[in-house]
Amino acid sequence: MPTPVSRRSFLLSTGGLAAATGLPAALFHGAASAAADGKTLTIAYNLPLPTWDPTAGASAANPAVQSIYKAVFDTYIDQNPDLSFRPGMLTKWGWNKDRTKIELEVRAGAKWHDGSPVTADDVAWSLERAGDPKSGNPIQFLWGKIGNFKVSGQKVTADVKEFEPALFKWMAFLTAYVLPRKAFTAAGAGWEDKPVGSGPYMVEKTERNAYVRLKAFPGYWGPKPAFETVIFKFVPDATSRVAELESGGSDLTLEIPFEEYNRLTQTKGFGGVTTPVSDIGMIFISNREPLLDENVRLAMIQSVDKKAIVDKLLLGFGVPIDTLQAPQYAAFDKTIRTKYDPEGAKALLARSGYSAANPVKFTIQTTRGMKAKDYEMIQAIVGMWRKVGIEASIEVYEIARHFELRARHELAPAAFYNWGNAIGDPSTSTGFAMFSHSPHSAWKTEDVDAKIGPLWGEKDETKRILGYRAVDKYIADKGLVLPLLQYVQPVVFRKGLKFTPHIAGFVLPQNVTRA
Amino acid sequence: MFFLKRLLLALPTLFGVAVVVFVLLRVVPGDPIAMMIPPGASQADVQNLRAAYGLDQPIPVQFGRWLSEVARGEFGTSISLREDVMKLVAGRLPATLELCAVAMVVAVILGIAAGVVAVRWKGRWPEWLADGLSGLGLAIPDFLWGLLGILVLGVLWPLLPVSGRIDPRIEFDPGSRFFLLAAVVSGRFDVLAELLRHMVLPALALAIPLAAALARVVKGSLAEAMTQDYVLVARAKGYSRSRVILRVALRNALIPAITLTGVQFTFLVGGTVLVETIFSFPGIGNLAIGAVLQRDLPLIQGLVLVFAVLFIAINLCVDATYVALDPRVRRP
Amino acid sequence: MRVSPKLGFGLGVYLGLVLLAFGAHWIAPHDPLEQDLLNTFAPPAWRDGGTSTFWLGTDSLGRDILSRLIHGSRVAVTVALIAATCAGILGTVLGLCAGYFGGWVDTVVSRIVDVWMAFPPVLLSIVLAAVLGAGLHTVVIAIVVIDWTRFCRVVRAEVMVQKSRDYVTSALTIGLSPWRILTGEVVPNVVPLLITLFTLEMGIAIVVEAVLSFAGLSVANDDATWGSMIQEGRQFVRQAWWLMVAPMVCIVLSVLAANALGDGLRERFDPLLRRERP
Repeated sequence: MPTPVSRRSFLLSTGGLAAATGLPAALFHGAASAAADGKTLTIAYNLPLPTWDPTAGASAANPAVQSIYKAVFDTYIDQNPDLSFRPGMLTKWGWNKDRTKIELEVRAGAKWHDGSPVTADDVAWSLERAGDPKSGNPIQFLWGKIGNFKVSGQKVTADVKEFEPALFKWMAFLTAYVLPRKAFTAAGAGWEDKPVGSGPYMVEKTERNAYVRLKAFPGYWGPKPAFETVIFKFVPDATSRVAELESGGSDLTLEIPFEEYNRLTQTKGFGGVTTPVSDIGMIFISNREPLLDENVRLAMIQSVDKKAIVDKLLLGFGVPIDTLQAPQYAAFDKTIRTKYDPEGAKALLARSGYSAANPVKFTIQTTRGMKAKDYEMIQAIVGMWRKVGIEASIEVYEIARHFELRARHELAPAAFYNWGNAIGDPSTSTGFAMFSHSPHSAWKTEDVDAKIGPLWGEKDETKRILGYRAVDKYIADKGLVLPLLQYVQPVVFRKGLKFTPHIAGFVLPQNVTRA
Repeated sequence: MFFLKRLLLALPTLFGVAVVVFVLLRVVPGDPIAMMIPPGASQADVQNLRAAYGLDQPIPVQFGRWLSEVARGEFGTSISLREDVMKLVAGRLPATLELCAVAMVVAVILGIAAGVVAVRWKGRWPEWLADGLSGLGLAIPDFLWGLLGILVLGVLWPLLPVSGRIDPRIEFDPGSRFFLLAAVVSGRFDVLAELLRHMVLPALALAIPLAAALARVVKGSLAEAMTQDYVLVARAKGYSRSRVILRVALRNALIPAITLTGVQFTFLVGGTVLVETIFSFPGIGNLAIGAVLQRDLPLIQGLVLVFAVLFIAINLCVDATYVALDPRVRRP
Repeated sequence: MRVSPKLGFGLGVYLGLVLLAFGAHWIAPHDPLEQDLLNTFAPPAWRDGGTSTFWLGTDSLGRDILSRLIHGSRVAVTVALIAATCAGILGTVLGLCAGYFGGWVDTVVSRIVDVWMAFPPVLLSIVLAAVLGAGLHTVVIAIVVIDWTRFCRVVRAEVMVQKSRDYVTSALTIGLSPWRILTGEVVPNVVPLLITLFTLEMGIAIVVEAVLSFAGLSVANDDATWGSMIQEGRQFVRQAWWLMVAPMVCIVLSVLAANALGDGLRERFDPLLRRERP
């Protein structure tokens, strides 16, 4: 099918002409030689890629960079856009009867980008490395629950050292990438320049903090992607990402202000998709003064008008939530509700002796610009609190600082965070966020532990899910966390493209096609 | 000789810089190790990491070790980017140097032009315009010029790219990190145009404050030169005012301008920290902000030191130029 | 006394700023923190749909921009006055000591100044702010730590010139103590210079506050500062460019005024100085 010549590509090619004829003329016309040939997809991405090792360092646990990893590497198990699971590098997986062993079958015929075949040994080595504390894997504690790998043909078996109900779900998520044993060990520090994966795209060029250029891998085992070349251009500033798209410098971008999304899609003729993603905005409550007072906590929760925030501030791009489960998650329970009741909040505060004239005071920490309107949202909440008698002072921090403070249990009494949970399991939302021995929790008390503890090893799935619902109810009644909303991810692209969104929020180049 | 002496004098300064950098960053609240540990790591793991980064030693020992490493050009590994600091800096420095060079050329041209215009049309509207513009140029800091540039030429009237250094779709293998230089050498003028397009706004943002300061100095010294005898003689010979200014007076008015350019150039280099960030320009300034916000100690130390060395080098060059132009300085 | 236009402009703007800062509570038409999510991005009065209730419109949370600008002047004035004063005192004391006593005191101070001059000021202030944690005190400390050298260098040079003058030599010969000479003879002669430097420093301080706010390292609350308003407005340049431009105008105006004030004062004092010199 011939590609219609758009006005933009016409302008671009005349720009190229101008460059050939004269430098000054080229200065004020579009990009030089890179005419829109239809074979390249440029994505203006919101975060720079920190490293090409998708299994190590704190950033490996950042759901937001996984799109790039997923274009280059294969996960053990893959996820459909609706979060259901499908074969990845593994074609079969499962427990034995008494759940003391796991059995995996590795895909035959898959190749690494250097041409060598992917073997069962690579898979076993990758899993073993993930479980090794020295590898720096941020969720090593989970991978360490299996060990003693045995390889025979395409089969890998391992012993279960400690039962983990969500193990196979994790095999589709963070740090669950198969790496080439030989190439990785041989490369050493040179890995960053020339990483080798088995995914649909291979790395052609890495310009740190500027862009990465990927080329389609002809030996990929799955369907051939629509674009020969994919460029992830790192543009952390939302305004600049919009400018990138509008000027034709990029074909697709994400995480832009919702006002811009509306303007671009409604008046500028850009295509757009908004999907609720598996990412929620929440405020951690720490078990420290003055929030040890249940009245204060419940008042905090009841005085926040989540609906107004979603409707007015996020222009409707969000779904208010009352537990740490978004509607698509396994343990979502729509009967658990916290109400918006500012008068009730005032009464609660009055019981503890606080009022608008004599407010309870604490600090709330927030990121700024990490998520669309995060800082505005906190400002709005602080304004709502102020009216009922809560005086919160805002402290802005970087997300890295949040991780650091959270790991040391030193977050401020209230701390805003966005919690990604692409596998939708309650253990990775309520479990990790509320269990005191988890390094990710902020409220650490024995009553909650007693309720979550037994669920970690619960082998009956129905009982496990019901158990988590009960925990969520308890947490909501006691006011131990303030869930705000499920995010909606805006993705905008130029005319002539089609993008399939992924509920995990991944913007996968292999999911972009020509319309 | 003079130069050698200045070079030796720069050594204690460098040492002082190293001490300040070290002290400043040892008092950072927050433990860099805490950011590196995987959740669930044991206390022993944390201890091992501390030992690996030498953070378990007494402070003077840490300093001595650090200094000897720095002297050998080893700044350690960046915590947030997991790469050798020296390699990171070396990869980014050329972009910043090219940007600064372009900005300086722009500043010198704009500054001298404004100064000359103000003197040539003294007492008429061009003088007031030049004065007004240089006043604004001095009052608006570089990063606000950058934002204004984005607003006007990126948003309201989108003519120029507002982020990055080069369009990644362009097939171009520069062979080094000096893209601009490589484009000129290899005769790729389309690439050159592309590189310059990306540089226009950030370079202008950096250049305008310097240009404004230059305009003032050029105007002042030019006005003074115009009252000197040799200029009056040239005028009496019937040369036009413009010709006298450009051919005679300007040459003599340039010494203070060059000195000022040197001094102000350090400010321009310092300005890259914000301007590069605003324009996502992949230089060391951009890297620095990221490093500070991520509390990436080794990277911050490396970058601050590199900036300091740059500053000292610029000042040395200024001194040298000054001596070359004005031999009187050499006298004690 | 005739007041030059520059001096008049500078003085006028600064007096106005101080008035605004002190009277913000009475002058501002609205509470700068009062949000109204139903009335966000209201346009300024002169644009379609604008009302005189919000002269400059409202921001992304429905807060009145004019009131936020007025309250933002409090931060600007506070930072400008306190930081410039502290930097001035620190720099002057060190400069006086170095210039007057010379010898090893001078060597030490000059070395420190050299080291300080080798740091990029913006980077140093951001590193400092990250070390100290966000807040108004951080902004002030960062400015003082970085900018004392300006005062120090100038004062030192000036003191050295004054010291070689006859009146100091004669004061020494009649047996006045160094302290008396410093405070009684030298200081009054460097005061005009200091005033000029001080006014310039106020402008610089306002810019540094904006830089740190911009990097998210100044006052973090929903309190209004000009720098944070620029940062917030930047996201909406397409929908409401005035959000970013209004605080920019305030900053530029303040710096212009500081420069004009400095220039005006220099012009006023210079002839006096010249007359006193032999």
